[in-house]
Amino acid sequence: MDLDRAKLTFIIEAHELLDAMETSLLAPDSSESVNAMFRAVHTIKGSAGLFGLDSIVRFAHTVESVMDRVRAGSLPFTPSLVDLILACHDHMARQIEELQEGEENGSPGTLAASEALLARLLPYMEETPNPHQANKSLVSPSWQHSPEEEESGQPTWHISVRFGEEILRQGMDPLSFLRYLMTLGTITHLTPILDRLPAGAAFDPEHCYLGLEIDLDAQVERQVLEDVFEFVREDSQIRIIPPHSKVEEYLKLIRELPEGDLYLGEILVQGKCLTPKDLEEALSTQRQEAMEGGTVQGRLLGTIVVQDQALPPAVVAAALDKQKRAKEKPSHELKVVKVQAEKLDRLVDLVGELVIAGASANTLAAKSMDSRVLEATAVITKLVEEIRDNALSLRMVQIGETFSRFRRIVRDVSQELGKSIELEIQGAETELDKSIVEKLSDPLMHLVRNSIDHGIEPLEIRRARGKPDTGSLSLNAFHESGSIVIEVADDGGGLNRQRILAKAVERGLIQDPAALTDQEINLLIFEPGFSTAESVSKLSGRGVGMDVVKRNIDELRGTIEVESYEGAGTTFRFRLPLTLAIIDGFQVLVEDTSYVIPLDIVLECLDLGPILESEQNHLINLRGEALPFLRLREVFETPGPFPARERVVVVQIGDTRAGIVVDRLMGEFQTVIKPLGELFRSVKGLGGSTILGSGEVALILDVNQLIQLATARRPNARPRLSTTA
Amino acid sequence: MAKTIMIIDDSASLRQVVSITLTGAGYEVLEACDGRDALAKLTGQKVHLMISDVNMPNMDGISFLKAVREVPAYRFTPVIMLTTEAGEEMKKAGQAAGAKAWVVKPFKPEILLTAVSKLILP
Amino acid sequence: MFQISRVKDKDREIFRLSGDLTIYAAAEARKEFENLLSPGESLVLDLSEIDEIDTSGVQLLLWLKREVSAGGGQAALVRHSLAVVETFDLLHVTAIFGDPILISPE
Repeated sequence: MDLDRAKLTFIIEAHELLDAMETSLLAPDSSESVNAMFRAVHTIKGSAGLFGLDSIVRFAHTVESVMDRVRAGSLPFTPSLVDLILACHDHMARQIEELQEGEENGSPGTLAASEALLARLLPYMEETPNPHQANKSLVSPSWQHSPEEEESGQPTWHISVRFGEEILRQGMDPLSFLRYLMTLGTITHLTPILDRLPAGAAFDPEHCYLGLEIDLDAQVERQVLEDVFEFVREDSQIRIIPPHSKVEEYLKLIRELPEGDLYLGEILVQGKCLTPKDLEEALSTQRQEAMEGGTVQGRLLGTIVVQDQALPPAVVAAALDKQKRAKEKPSHELKVVKVQAEKLDRLVDLVGELVIAGASANTLAAKSMDSRVLEATAVITKLVEEIRDNALSLRMVQIGETFSRFRRIVRDVSQELGKSIELEIQGAETELDKSIVEKLSDPLMHLVRNSIDHGIEPLEIRRARGKPDTGSLSLNAFHESGSIVIEVADDGGGLNRQRILAKAVERGLIQDPAALTDQEINLLIFEPGFSTAESVSKLSGRGVGMDVVKRNIDELRGTIEVESYEGAGTTFRFRLPLTLAIIDGFQVLVEDTSYVIPLDIVLECLDLGPILESEQNHLINLRGEALPFLRLREVFETPGPFPARERVVVVQIGDTRAGIVVDRLMGEFQTVIKPLGELFRSVKGLGGSTILGSGEVALILDVNQLIQLATARRPNARPRLSTTA
Repeated sequence: MAKTIMIIDDSASLRQVVSITLTGAGYEVLEACDGRDALAKLTGQKVHLMISDVNMPNMDGISFLKAVREVPAYRFTPVIMLTTEAGEEMKKAGQAAGAKAWVVKPFKPEILLTAVSKLILP
Repeated sequence: MFQISRVKDKDREIFRLSGDLTIYAAAEARKEFENLLSPGESLVLDLSEIDEIDTSGVQLLLWLKREVSAGGGQAALVRHSLAVVETFDLLHVTAIFGDPILISPE
């Protein structure tokens, strides 16, 4: 073994060192010889440590300490001490000999001799040597895991680092610490802070200006993470917040760091350390304190800022909050006031007008450049936002009532068909806009009937497939990332893709069956005039119905997904916006035309710099993921030359992402959705219109259709670069 | 391409164990027995990290650190200094010379490997 | 060795950076970048031949980009090499730069 050979080298080396030490000991007067003695013991200790020869390390350590005092001149090298060191030398030589004979831990005789000599060295020590101290670094606590921490699920550490300016010159690169952190766990979120990077001549290219906000999923002790930065600890600011820490810990961090509260707060929200609500509460408390203290810091909340950065999802929290409130409902039942639906509709309409009027006032205020007017409108904007949310929440109703109606329908229909089917309802307390619920019962009815009729098999087939006699049908509703998801699932036979394809080809709906994904094949059943049932039954299979479902969901600005496993069942999934009337929008510009993208699906914005001739058909690499993109300019055939610099808005619906290329980003604002005029209704990619603060009309994009266009253009889009971020 | 590390220590056995440990982890290792030897062997080739003992004959670790910072190719190469608890004075002198990474002797091979991994991965 | 050379892409002039954009080259690279600056002018930087880039290199590119913007122009980074993509991904700075990183469709 290599290590055995190294041990042999150690034995030879130790003998040489001890010989040199002996020579020096016999002429101990010069400082050089004292130095040599010290080094001999020091080196033996260092090497012995590598082999884990603890008894040698412990003995050499004490001798070394005494020799260090002699070397420093704080201890006279008296003849009696020389004799003692000589005895120690002989003892070490014996230890090495025993090692040579294979006695790694020392024979009992040598160990006893060690103790005797150590006792004699004791008076020469500065203080009582702690025998554990020498061994302290041999067992690092970082390799031990405490059991209770390993049990606590999936903790995320938050690490906040502002690196010292000199670290690059010392050969330390923040990149290496990141790489090392990735060996300890998974970085779930990371935001680089580069605000300190100065402009112009003040920039020193050898200085480090970087800061990092890191969320790390790792099952380690705090010490391990602190040790990661031990080499830069002196010059850097490092804060580590353990998993499951209280909100206050993060807020303290926000207050202590030099960057803006709002800026850091949003980073923490994105990393899910804070909820938007925590942040809002913390900031408003601080604002209040600042106001009371008479020092308003000039930050205007609600001011529309055009930011090229990613925007935080605000709607999610509202939805979660609502769900929570819905669960608490039973105890408040007596306090309910009944209001006519028309009155609520009128209120929401008025709030819509108020939002438009507010946007108009904002535009004027921004032009006036008067800070008092700006501040006043900012406060109004904030209030309007709250009124809007409140008004919309008044119209929210639980979906449970709609779901319950299906109990009767399922019973009646299954009896008619001679099937035994059980209906299961989940998420009945999920709330959504009344106007959506109303338009949802038709498509739900179609899907439920379809599942009972075509999905769940007749009894004999179920038995043959080993399924329970009673078929299962479930209705499920829940909130997910700014949307409401409604599922209709059955445990029936699943969709027969072969038959769907055959029918689609026969009907001329598709040309090339091989080019379709399973999902695309499933969705063919929603095409007009499509019916695969071999025998037309009383209830469905008339070839009308499924395309109506699609149209209804489209009108609600929703999407449909189908998950189907042959022989195991089908799940139809609608994804719907929380409300219909008012949305937070992100305004973009192509030439002079304004478009609005619903804010809750905007992930981030990028510059699309000049694309080289050779790269016209490429995809954007978004952190290792291939992102298809399309130009609005091309989709809507806008005349005029391409601008020198285009922008990309990255959007996501479900799991699909795409880039929408526009000329300019105008920022976020609230918008009231108006239906499209007849003229535009047939245009693909448009979902509605709205009126801007300036009085101009903006077109609201149907991003779902656009994503389909973008991905369809590049069917083979696959990420090529994959990084383990 | 493997990352190169130079180990500078007057103990051949220490160099050997360090070398075995680091090579086993995927690094390339160069050896030098003291500061003077190291400077002679550093001829402009890429070295990603140096590990240097403080107490060495001929040229000690602190003088070596100061000297190697004058060589353009190694101005910014990270250096891990090996020291003992007894060497607090040395540590102060080393910190003044810009040595920030310290590993206390005696150490087990995996402790050194951890320290190295923080600065460069193989 | 870090170097900047002028190349043509169709009728456009672009600057190709090659070699190691690391702390060793930082001082030199900054001088060279300063020479590229001229008020109102835009730049296209080809990163396809960068073999190694570290934190100082990222800072330099960001500084250059901001300096060009301050002068009224725009600096575009194109054809990021694998080393650049890896480092940008690790530091999550792609969004800060804003330049899309393109990859070939196959």
